[in-house]
Amino acid sequence: MRSTSRRYHLVLACVLVAIGLFLAGWAYQLQHGLIVTGLADWGSSGGVTWGLYIGAFIWWVGIAHGGIILSAAVRLLGMDRYMPVARLAELLTLAGLSVAGLYIIIHMGRPDRMVTSILGNYHVTVHNSPLVWDVTVITLYFVMTATYLALTLRYDLVRLRDSLPDRFEPLYRLLTAGYTEREDPVVERMVWWLALAIIILAPLLLHGGVIPWLFALIPTMPGWFGSIQGPQFLTIALTSAISGVIILSFAFRAAYGWDHIISDDVFRGLTLWLGFFALLFLWLQLQQIVGGSFAAPLDQSAATSAKLSHPVYLIAIGMVGVSLAYIFAQAIRPSLFSKPRAVLASVTVLTATLLEKVFFVVEGLMYPTFSLYEATPGSYVPSLIEMGSVVGTVAIVVLFFMVVSKVIPVVELHAIEHLQERETAEDELEPPADAAEMEVGT
Amino acid sequence: MIDDDNEPSIEERVSAFRGDDWEDEMRAVLDEGEYDTELGIQMARDARRLVAGELEEADFHERYHDAVVEEFGVDDRPLETSDESAASGHLPVAAETDEEELERREVLQKMGAAGAFVGLGAWATAENRDESASAEAAASDEDDPNRQWGMVIDLDKCDGCLSCVIACSQENQTSAGSNWMYVFTYEDDDQDGENFLVRTCQMCTNAPCEKVCPTTARHTRTEDGLVLTDYDVCIGCRYCQVACPYGVNYFQWGEPDVPGSEIDPHHAYDDRGRWVDSRPPKGVMGKCTMCPTRQDDPDRRGTTGCEDACSMDAIYFGDMNDPESDPNQYLETVREENPTDRETFANRPSDRVSTFRLLEELGTEPNVVFVGNEPGPNAKQVEGPVSYEEMGQVDRRKDVLDEETFAGGVFS
Repeated sequence: MRSTSRRYHLVLACVLVAIGLFLAGWAYQLQHGLIVTGLADWGSSGGVTWGLYIGAFIWWVGIAHGGIILSAAVRLLGMDRYMPVARLAELLTLAGLSVAGLYIIIHMGRPDRMVTSILGNYHVTVHNSPLVWDVTVITLYFVMTATYLALTLRYDLVRLRDSLPDRFEPLYRLLTAGYTEREDPVVERMVWWLALAIIILAPLLLHGGVIPWLFALIPTMPGWFGSIQGPQFLTIALTSAISGVIILSFAFRAAYGWDHIISDDVFRGLTLWLGFFALLFLWLQLQQIVGGSFAAPLDQSAATSAKLSHPVYLIAIGMVGVSLAYIFAQAIRPSLFSKPRAVLASVTVLTATLLEKVFFVVEGLMYPTFSLYEATPGSYVPSLIEMGSVVGTVAIVVLFFMVVSKVIPVVELHAIEHLQERETAEDELEPPADAAEMEVGT
Repeated sequence: MIDDDNEPSIEERVSAFRGDDWEDEMRAVLDEGEYDTELGIQMARDARRLVAGELEEADFHERYHDAVVEEFGVDDRPLETSDESAASGHLPVAAETDEEELERREVLQKMGAAGAFVGLGAWATAENRDESASAEAAASDEDDPNRQWGMVIDLDKCDGCLSCVIACSQENQTSAGSNWMYVFTYEDDDQDGENFLVRTCQMCTNAPCEKVCPTTARHTRTEDGLVLTDYDVCIGCRYCQVACPYGVNYFQWGEPDVPGSEIDPHHAYDDRGRWVDSRPPKGVMGKCTMCPTRQDDPDRRGTTGCEDACSMDAIYFGDMNDPESDPNQYLETVREENPTDRETFANRPSDRVSTFRLLEELGTEPNVVFVGNEPGPNAKQVEGPVSYEEMGQVDRRKDVLDEETFAGGVFS
């Protein structure tokens, strides 16, 4: 944590350049309007009004699910194996939700009015608009996750204070204000309940509810309409989230040499979970294809056949299929497993879910029920500014982790203590101070 | 302004497209009827002059009073000169008793298709202006709590001239391709030749666009049911456009073609002081408004730009909740003109007129009623009798928008 390598600075420079380019693109968009995107009106104009920005927004909210899956696994189901990566996943939730929120702002024609127009009319619009529910639930999820993180951090910060850099002293003092050891069991119970609350909220409301409802409740876009979107979105979120955690864990293990903390066992387990969620994802896609092809109404048939004949959809589904095939194979023959392969499968799945989500948004708007317009289905190719936003937001998340890992311990002290207990049991003694040092990075 | 001096006017464009065809078509219809064809044609010509302001309404009635009485047996049109009308303080129409009104409707019925065709719609439009000029009428208009502005559009009358499209874009100064008014020409399985669908905002009572709006910018004006966008509140999320089944929304993706300095504030702010009319500013959603600032103006209440421009009298704007309004009267007239032979077929509906509301099954409760055939599931939009380009308009707006897409050319 206290020493910074050359590689760190190099990555930091790349990340800052990417963010700079993204911000320049956004500034250009603010100046000229959304006309700089590849978007246009649907209908007589021959375009789609939502595209990559909304697709990427859904994608990031999906990735943000990682936090709760891991926390729930550890706190509620007692799967201690994943304890070392739980906090990384929680931080990914905060980062993912933040850039998802950023996408909502980028997507607006008049972002300057976000506060006045949305908050000012909240008491009216919350009764109707799925977009308002969406903002509400994302905010709630963010606050709950941040609270969870803040509570669990107190224990660690107090005990590791001597190993932490002094320049952040005010921050540590704020985060540990009023700490006494008597609160430990209370906090432990509080975070258990918080984890339970989030695990109910997240699948039922967030990606299993409110986010898909943005689309699933619009009856005149048959590619979107229907109750399957809830479960379908949830599987996309879960695959993206697990992929994100695998990549993140791999990066931290490589950067800090945490081979004994984030063990191969963690990767094997996460990879299997990725396979399971990918299977669910493909299964629900199949349900939609069968339902939309057999004897569906005309509008839905058109949307389904368009989907099946579009290379983006086929490539996305194919990528998930290939990843699943690999995961299945390595489950049967463990020698096929390697961490780089698991990371490759994760990157493949994340690319596929981004493609699928953007395609879902665009394709839905291209095949409306009212299809008399000759210009419909229209066309859409994202502009460089839109594509740059994906690189830019990924860079923001990377930057977030690079900064956070220098400020707070990104692995829970509980996890280290847990590992030590095991090691003690195996008669491999190690002084606690070293463990703490390992835990916050070197 | 969009209009520069060298550009031909709407009338010139339309007549260049239509030539004398309208007269031929009209003559054919009139010949089928039982009344005097030449009288009908002459009245139609003068009705057009009346709408264009070249002829006073009273002069029009004076010119045709005798002939109409001779032909139809009765004429309740006002005979006062325009000077007399002004002096008398209110117009005869406003003072009409129920009995007189009944007689007038009877005449309308008698004149039948011929009367409707030769421009009684235009006549009624001119009359509406006078009607609302009356302070009394205006006061009673204001008080009507159940008003719901809407339209009856007779697709059988539309000839696809696009004058409504041009008039709307000029009146609202919309950017190229923002076709708030859009006319489809389409071919369909069981319909021969060219069919038209005139697409305005459907002014839904149960508007999906309003329901999804995260800001209340898209709202229904309570006093008259117009579905409008408050340009000062809209955040440009475009969810309204996503939720609208009809595709009537046009976002202001970049700087508008007509700068704000050229927008007349009287044509932008409605009576409530909300900016809901004319083209939207950058980053905000626009769509057909059915001219709220006209509805706020007692002199122009009950009119829209497209209705005024339609020389085929296909568009009837008015209060859909008032049985006496233009659109409802027109529907009644058309229905009465096409009765079913109930002596032979006792159980059939009373008339043979096909009417529909667009995608009514979605439960949006649209306030636009169409007379004519509904496009079927296999209907296909085709090139119209005149193209948008010929009329100086843009059909596929994306072509214009793509010019400013950042590095769009890299991929296309």
